[in-house]
Order: sequence, then structure tokens, then C-alpha cells
Amino acid sequence: MSKKQWFFAIFVVLAGMVIVFAPLPVHATAPTQRTFRVEASQYTYSPAILKVNPGDIISIELISTDVVHGLYVDEYGISVTADPGQTARLTFTADKPGSFRFRCNVTCGALHPFMIGKLQVGPNTWLWRASGLTVLAALAILILRPSPPKAQVT
Amino acid sequence: MKNSEQLSRLLITVGLLIVIALPFVARSVDTQDIVEVHARMAESGGWMPGTIQAQTGIPLYLRLTSDDVMHGFAIGQSDNPAVDVLPGKITEVTVAFDKPGTYTYYCTRWCGPNHWRMRGTIEVTGNEMPSSQAINPPLYIKLNLDIDTPHLASATPAVIPDAQRGAIFSALLPDSYLLPDYYLSHSPAQVYLDVQVDPALATLSNSDLWGLVAYIWQSNTTPEGLTEGQRLFAQNCAACHGETGNGDGVFSADINALAGKYPANFSDPASLLGAGPALLQGKILRGGMGTGMPSWGPIFTNQQTWDLVSYLYTFQFK
Ligand code: HEC
Ligand SMILES: [Cu+2]
Ligand SMILES: [Cu+2]
Repeated sequence: MSKKQWFFAIFVVLAGMVIVFAPLPVHATAPTQRTFRVEASQYTYSPAILKVNPGDIISIELISTDVVHGLYVDEYGISVTADPGQTARLTFTADKPGSFRFRCNVTCGALHPFMIGKLQVGPNTWLWRASGLTVLAALAILILRPSPPKAQVT
Repeated sequence: MKNSEQLSRLLITVGLLIVIALPFVARSVDTQDIVEVHARMAESGGWMPGTIQAQTGIPLYLRLTSDDVMHGFAIGQSDNPAVDVLPGKITEVTVAFDKPGTYTYYCTRWCGPNHWRMRGTIEVTGNEMPSSQAINPPLYIKLNLDIDTPHLASATPAVIPDAQRGAIFSALLPDSYLLPDYYLSHSPAQVYLDVQVDPALATLSNSDLWGLVAYIWQSNTTPEGLTEGQRLFAQNCAACHGETGNGDGVFSADINALAGKYPANFSDPASLLGAGPALLQGKILRGGMGTGMPSWGPIFTNQQTWDLVSYLYTFQFK
């Protein structure tokens, strides 16, 4: 490996560490009030993915369309139960960033344990970091691959 | 000598008999009145058992559990609070009856479009007098009303009638309009036609007259009754008739598919203003006979049905 290639290899390692550990610029979005209308039926939520910004005040209106369902948000530890015909409301502040499961906490039939959704608080930084790493890896492979033997001059 | 021997033999025999009989007696005392009840969605068979026997004055112990989803348990026309019945758990309740008769127990947590069909009966025997509600025929029968004929209002207001506006002119209103019997047996549209031709009210405009109609309805209701009516509606009716009474509840399409009829839309003035309180109560008590509208007679007390009727009119009056 040439000296140049050594430098490049070190550069790749450093760049990778930056991509993984650098704090992303947090565009400070002012917290807003967001209302989601979530329909629950055996055994899904619709929508099943809720995206919010940290600090937002979230209001989930849970509407059951068949049997009694619940909605429990992991880590936040809060829940509501909705009977069909009676819209239930869950209001809270999304003060923990990250990605959280929410799940049905009322036994609602055979596949009840699989009734889950996702609450995404803040940007999904791992998506960006992962794509950054992929690009870097591609570059590294291109540049660091062993150079083909030089043409023989006779 | 011989006598005492016989006596001791007798004592031993009796003693043995008692010892042998004891477990049987104890068991019958213990379990006689414990009934295990399983809840299932109406499609899979409903309550098991569907009929329970009881006696006045003797407590009935029930052990309730569910075989599928969350259900609830309550007894119609009684004050016992509803309890939840959960799969994998046992809910124990003790109930007692002081009047004989046939009681209906029913599911209180919505478990599908056929949830309201989840009902069972408790047959209570005893020597006391049955309750008056069980004996007296409902008002629509006494009035000889045919609750199945269409009842389109012959007049409807241009704007939502306002009871406060009516109250301004209430001094002009002859007392006979405020009698409960008059209110119960007339639809708002009929009352409007009556006040329209009443010489005592000849100076009033159409919206003032409709205001008087709303005022008459308000005079026959109490705030507590409306609150109770609203609570009962949210729990028992909104899944079909919609939370705002528009007939668009979460099950409205299912009900139409099952029974060929959509739940009534209470925000339609032509329909609701053509129905009097006795007619609406009749429909609630008896149900729609195969249309998907449940019969609530065995579930609610008379007062509760009137509270529901008063609440239904709030979809038309303010
Ligand atoms: C399972 C669905 C369902 C539920 C629950 C239900 N209804 Fe109905 N209801 C219907 C349907 C369908 C109709 C229309 C059929 C008919 O008129 O008979 C109807 C009709 C009615 C009518 C007649 C309206 C008219 O203008 O003739 C009244 C009053 C009524 N419902 C009141 C209630 C009340 C009060 C409750 C709750 C205690 C209730 N309903 C619960 C389905 C339902
Ligand atoms: Cu569920
Ligand atoms: Cu049920």
C-alpha cells in the first residue's frame, strides 16, 4: 500500500467516526400541538407510525371500530382505552426523543400481542448516519482496492 | 346394661351418618349459589349459561370470565355497577334481588356490531310483588301509537329552535301546553302546528313559535336528566348512531350490511321533529324488530329511557 493509500485509510476511519458520533444540527422547531386520529381495529392501528418533534404536545384520538382496544406508549408509560363509539383521548408532551413502540393493552383477540405501532419523536438520525456510512464504504472500496499490475514495458 | 349398649350403638350410627353426610351438606351450601359464567362474543355463542336461577333475598355469587375479548357485565334495571370481564381473569360479583321476575344481564363493553345481542336472563322466584315497571305497559301502548309508521315532520324550522328565545314569550303561552301529558304525546312538529293557530300567540313570528316549542321541551327536562341521557347515549348508542347523532357510528355500515338499515340520523329535523317522546321511548323500549336497533326495555329503567329521549331532542334544539 502506498503512503497515499495509508492516508486515505486513516481519513476513512476518521470520517466514519464523525458520521457515527457527530451531533446532528438540531433545527429547533418550536413545539406545537399535534392531534392524531388513530383508528384501532383487530389487530392494527391506522396510522401505525406517528412522527412528532421533541417537545410537541401530542393528542391522540383513539377510535375503536370493532372491540375494545387500548394504546400504551412504551417508556412514556401512559395509556388509554377506547370502546367503539366512544372516542378516547390521550394528551402528553413528547419530552423523550427517540423511537418508541406503542401497543394495545386490552386483550382483543388471538393476535392481540401483535397489535403495535411506533411513535417517532425527533428525526430518525440513524437513517442519515447509516446512509453516510454506506457512501463512505463505497468510496473506500473504490479507492483502496489493490491497483492492477502495471503494464510491462519491453 | 342392654339399654346402654343399644344407646351407644345408636349414638355411633348417628355420629357416623353425620360424618358421612357432612361433606355433601357443606358442598351444597358452598356451591349451591356460585355460578360460573363465561362470556363470548355473540357470534360465538354469547353468555354461558344463558339462563341463571335465583331467589329473592338469597345472594347470588357469580364468577365471570371471558373466552375471547374484553366484555362487561351488568344487570338491567338495577343499580349494581357494571364490571369488566377479561380473558384469563375471574371477576367475582355478588348480586341480590328483592323482587321476583325475569332480569336481563348484558355485556357492557362493545365487542362488535352484535355486542348488544350478548344478553342472558336471571329468573328470580319469590313471593314479593314484582316491580311496577314489569307490570305496567309502556306509554306508547297506552296511547295506542303505531311506532312503525313513518313519521315525517309536517313542518320544520328554518334555523335551530332556541329555548331561550321561546322563554321570552313564555308568559303568552297557555298553561295547557306545559302539561307533561301534552308533551309526551305530541311531536315537536304537531306542537308547532298547534301554537301556530293559537290566538294567544298570533303576534309571534315562525322562529319565535319554534322557540316556544323548544321551550316546552326544555321545561319537561332537567339538567341532571340530560347529563344522564348523554352518558347513556355515549355508552350504548353512539357506536351505531354516531357520537354526534348523525347516524354514522363506527358500526353503521356493519349494521346496514347485517340488517339492511342504517341507524337513524337524529340531526335530521324532518325525522326527529316528527316523533313525539312516547314514540321515541317506544322505539327505544321495543327496538326495531330485525332492523338492528336493539330493544332496550329490559336494560333501562323508565327514568333512563326518558332521559335518553330528552337527550335525543338536544340534537334539534338549543
Ligand atoms: C346496533 C346498532 C344500534 C344501537 C346500538 C342503537 N340503535 Fe337506535 N337504531 C338503529 C337502527 C338500525 C335504527 C333504524 C331502524 C328503525 O328505525 O327501526 C335505529 C332507530 C332508532 C330510533 C328510531 C328513530 C325514528 O325516528 O324512528 C331511535 C329513537 C333510536 N334508534 C334510539 C336509540 C337509542 C336511544 C340507543 C341507545 C340506547 C340506540 N338507538 C342504540 C341501530 C342502533
Ligand atoms: Cu387491540
Ligand atoms: Cu361483549
